Amino acid sequence: MICNIRVWLKIPDAEAATVKNTLVRRMGFGDQLRDVKKERLFSIDVDSGEGASLARSFVRELVNENKESHKVSFDELKFEGGYVPVKVSLHIEDGEAISIRDRLRNRLGIKGVREVRKATVWKLYLLDPQPETLARKIAEGLLINPHKDSYEIMG
Amino acid sequence: MKIAVVQFPGTNCEHETLVAVKAVGMDGEVFRWNRPAEELCGFDGFVIPGGFSYQDRVRAGAIASKEPVMETLHEEAEKGKPIIGICNGFQILVESGLLPGTGRLDMALAQNVMITGGRIVRRGYYCDWIHLRHEAEAGRCCGSFLMGVGTVLQIPIAHGEGNLVTTTPGLIERLNEEDQVVFRYCDSSGEEGSEFPVNVNGSTESIAGICNPEGNVLGMMPHPERAFFPRQLSSFNSGMKEGEAGPGRLVFESMKRYIEVRA
Repeated sequence: MICNIRVWLKIPDAEAATVKNTLVRRMGFGDQLRDVKKERLFSIDVDSGEGASLARSFVRELVNENKESHKVSFDELKFEGGYVPVKVSLHIEDGEAISIRDRLRNRLGIKGVREVRKATVWKLYLLDPQPETLARKIAEGLLINPHKDSYEIMG
Repeated sequence: MKIAVVQFPGTNCEHETLVAVKAVGMDGEVFRWNRPAEELCGFDGFVIPGGFSYQDRVRAGAIASKEPVMETLHEEAEKGKPIIGICNGFQILVESGLLPGTGRLDMALAQNVMITGGRIVRRGYYCDWIHLRHEAEAGRCCGSFLMGVGTVLQIPIAHGEGNLVTTTPGLIERLNEEDQVVFRYCDSSGEEGSEFPVNVNGSTESIAGICNPEGNVLGMMPHPERAFFPRQLSSFNSGMKEGEAGPGRLVFESMKRYIEVRA
């Protein structure tokens, strides 16, 4: 079972604002880009346990509810319409994801945690007849360094 | 001889870098990123100092590399003017394609991974005094113009992302063949080691600094401006007297000499 936790800031996200500003003011996407938002995504692979209870434990560990909101889903990952979700993750070893896995196993004692994957989902609100093509251009132009990151357009 | 110390929002080493520039007899000023970029043309050389430009948003150096001043620095580099990027400055030069010098994004400075005995013992930010061995021939590179092959410097590092990785086929071989590897991490006797603490961040082939094919653009993770004056040095050099040169001074003296020779 994969527990997906999407996490986003309730307060203004300065990083998303900087990305939008750079795309508009420095990279010429002003006419095609309406907005940029960002989420963190944790995909936790567990081999046993009751889903809702596990999710509550993971959320307590990974989300700061004073400033962040979250949404949990199991196995399938679905995004709302209106934007192109671009998932960026490391293709080299992700030390932070390994640390989280070890924390969940050792601090929460959930031995069934097999793997944790971590990603950033950039939500691109685009005004373009071919949004996926444009999203790829933006990802390759700014959001990733291909020598360590890979990306996926989430359909 | 006038040097621009280029400051982005989040740069935090511009003051000591400017002090180092002036202390070797060059003139200089801090050049903020939002000044008209064409004003850079009036300078003879450039240093992009360390820090956390744009708070490392997206990844270290990514946002700063899109600023208009970087386009102008590309043009100034083509004229042969020297550019030295230190730490975050190195990351910006890589992200902008000025290093390794093809104009493309050919490598990444990824998160540090410290490996000992084949096991990862630590990750991420690390600061300490380390040893560097100069690899290139004397005169090859603007920031090490006065250093011979095998010169060992003890200089501090302070970064979380200095681990050179690449998926570009043949890049590391080409950097070695073209004498573009300027510094490698080593131990106090100058011996290279592939594991922590000698290779402090897991960088491919212990590479700590590289230059472009022409030698006028240098990027290095360690901070020479923090090992410039004896008062900055750690106890290992406590015997040094005020007025003596710290190891980092050689980088700035090299830049000055490089400009004099080119003139």
